[in-house]
Amino acid sequence: MNLELEIINIKDVQFAEKTAISDGVLLINRRELQELLQQDKRFSSVDIELAHPGESCRIVRVFDVVEPRAKVTGTGQNFPGVLSRMAIAGEGRTKVLRGASVITIDHTGTAPPNSAQARIIDMVGPGVSLGFYGQLQNIVLLCPPASGIIPSDYWHALRLAGLKTAVYLAEAAQGIQADSVEAYNLESLAANSKDMEQLPRIAYIYQCYGLQHLSGDKPLHEPIFYGDNTYKLMPTIVHPNELLDGALVRGYAYGGSAETYDIQNHPIVLELYNRHGKDVCFAGVVLTVGQSTEPERERSVAIAAKLVKHVLAADGVIITRLGGGATYVDLAQTAELCEKIGVKTVACISIMANDRGTKNSLIFNSQSINAIVSMADFPVPVTLPHVDRLLGGPLNIFEKSAGDEITVPPRMIEGASNVIGASKIRVREF
Amino acid sequence: MAQKLRIIHYVNQYFGGIGGEEKASIKPQIRDSYVGPGRSIQDALKEQGDVVATIICGDNYITENTDMAIDEIIRLITPCLPDIIIAGPAFNAGRYGVACGAVCKSVQEKMGIIAVTGMFEKNPGADLYHKDIYIVKTLDSVRGMADAISKMLNLALKLTTKQEIGNPVQEGYIPQGIIKVEVSDKTAAQRAVDMLVNKIQGKTFETEFHVFMEFERVNPPSAIKNLPSAKIALVTDGGLVPKGNPDRIQLNNATRWGEYSIKNIESLNPENCDVTHSGYDNTAVKNDPHRLVPLDVMRDLEKKNVFGSLNDSYFVTTGVGTTLENARRLGREIAKKLKAEGVNGVILTST
Repeated sequence: MNLELEIINIKDVQFAEKTAISDGVLLINRRELQELLQQDKRFSSVDIELAHPGESCRIVRVFDVVEPRAKVTGTGQNFPGVLSRMAIAGEGRTKVLRGASVITIDHTGTAPPNSAQARIIDMVGPGVSLGFYGQLQNIVLLCPPASGIIPSDYWHALRLAGLKTAVYLAEAAQGIQADSVEAYNLESLAANSKDMEQLPRIAYIYQCYGLQHLSGDKPLHEPIFYGDNTYKLMPTIVHPNELLDGALVRGYAYGGSAETYDIQNHPIVLELYNRHGKDVCFAGVVLTVGQSTEPERERSVAIAAKLVKHVLAADGVIITRLGGGATYVDLAQTAELCEKIGVKTVACISIMANDRGTKNSLIFNSQSINAIVSMADFPVPVTLPHVDRLLGGPLNIFEKSAGDEITVPPRMIEGASNVIGASKIRVREF
Repeated sequence: MAQKLRIIHYVNQYFGGIGGEEKASIKPQIRDSYVGPGRSIQDALKEQGDVVATIICGDNYITENTDMAIDEIIRLITPCLPDIIIAGPAFNAGRYGVACGAVCKSVQEKMGIIAVTGMFEKNPGADLYHKDIYIVKTLDSVRGMADAISKMLNLALKLTTKQEIGNPVQEGYIPQGIIKVEVSDKTAAQRAVDMLVNKIQGKTFETEFHVFMEFERVNPPSAIKNLPSAKIALVTDGGLVPKGNPDRIQLNNATRWGEYSIKNIESLNPENCDVTHSGYDNTAVKNDPHRLVPLDVMRDLEKKNVFGSLNDSYFVTTGVGTTLENARRLGREIAKKLKAEGVNGVILTST
């Protein structure tokens, strides 16, 4: 598969008469975008705000963050299966507005369990470097639900609004010269080791959704993988380009600290790509979900390990998980089984301990899991400053106003506890 | 130049040159200057300090009479005015490791002097004392002597001059069980690929976190012999509580448990129940609490005399994100109450 990302660097965003890009400034016709989003009758109203880096501004109850992108060539389908017609993502040219992001806000105030209901993006202060998104030119969509719309329908409408806006904005880059072009060319996975026979073949098992809170009869409508509700997903091999080019977007009920922006810029996929042919051979990605019952988990774990060993012929595999405790079991059982059948593993974990003690931090004890990388869900609260401007859904999420100085667990800062490898914050045993 | 440091070295009967197993019961005794491996400590110290005395004690004596032996040791070393105690290294010698740990912890706490020991990671002394003192990680045998002494001394000198102690990998000590946060120069993705490449190629790699074997296996007890006369209780960690959660059992990381009466109650009414648990989809339990606390079935079986009687109350806590210490305490407290109420068996439902 050959994918070329035409990168256009965005250094500012402003409202203007016409949506366009001029000298690195993203200009947005506010009314036109409003009308586009207002077509979805699941919203009672649509408002659009801009938040710039360095501004005394806090964005709360973030639903998702999306990098503005639009297909130029290839299938031409953006976020296929979710936003547009089914097609395979990952080939052709895609315009990318680097430095900008579209932020959707959840106005229900009743997010499902474990989704860190008060997710924050700060444009100033320590939250910026912790959470990353405060460094971007942010286009914030404020779209409360129309009356009578149930939360799961509303959340899907929000998902579509974020994606639609991302495409709408990036399409303004038609005819604009790219600042740089990133090429992602990886032959079919079966043939990609030519002249790399000496390099370790590394695969990635990517848990993209979890069912810990969704064991009921009617899971949420979350068509996140080519429009598929992944809760019945068998472990599936995907080409890395598909992930970078819109095949998968964030799930909400169990998105677990990996925004769509991170999937579009997937840190582990990009790292393996960068090192492909140098010191590794990138063997491919297996997409899985964290299961809720033991028979489902055993099946999923066994199939994922089999794909890595016998189909992708990997020597080693990196395994990531989402938030919550149950998904650890999937991760641990997968790593254990891979080690047993001769595939070396690195397991990526976040610390669970409330007491900052090492022995309460993991809920598995398999001795074969001997290579662990810590992701950034660390148990040290962070104090964020007072801000002048608040954007977001219901703001009564703290005992005091969300604009005051607040002390929050880092997992409430969007991006800070990234579970797919973006963070430099790690823990160390002392 | 600063005053010379005064160091006391602790060794067992073997390293003290007194004898082997047959001398393991000797009481603590003191010698001037260094004995045996203490010589390399003196060599490494050069002009910075002196091994002023060596304490030799039998491994059996100190492990069998710990409090007494520690008191005797403290009495012996106090007149020496020591700045530092170096104990061992004990390598893989179990009783010696435990003794070194006990000596270091005691002198550190009771005399306020700096104490460092060294032993093999799997020495039982490491498990017992790694949280309280600095234990340098050594090889399993005396081959590791020079390296161990150099690291032990380095740590002791840093502690004496109040320098910052680096992380366990830098300094070579056994992690003390505390998590600290730091900023790496690489992302987790980069570190993960680095680690995996090294692991595949058989190179050394450093895991960022260890799996601790702290979960002991609980063997099922033998079956109840006379079920038709047995008193059975219902216990759950799924968080089913009376409406309003009167004991304020936490949604996660619970520190409390509750006991609620089901005396003369035939079934649970969803309207009178709440669920306090953030770790699973509570919908089914909220609709029908019996799917977590099966009172309906139990009353049925009680009437058919499949078992003797149902306890007049059920017990509940919340099992999610709970620390091991709390989980063990909660379990012990509930078990104590169950015993006091004459319960013979329990049905424990988990989520």
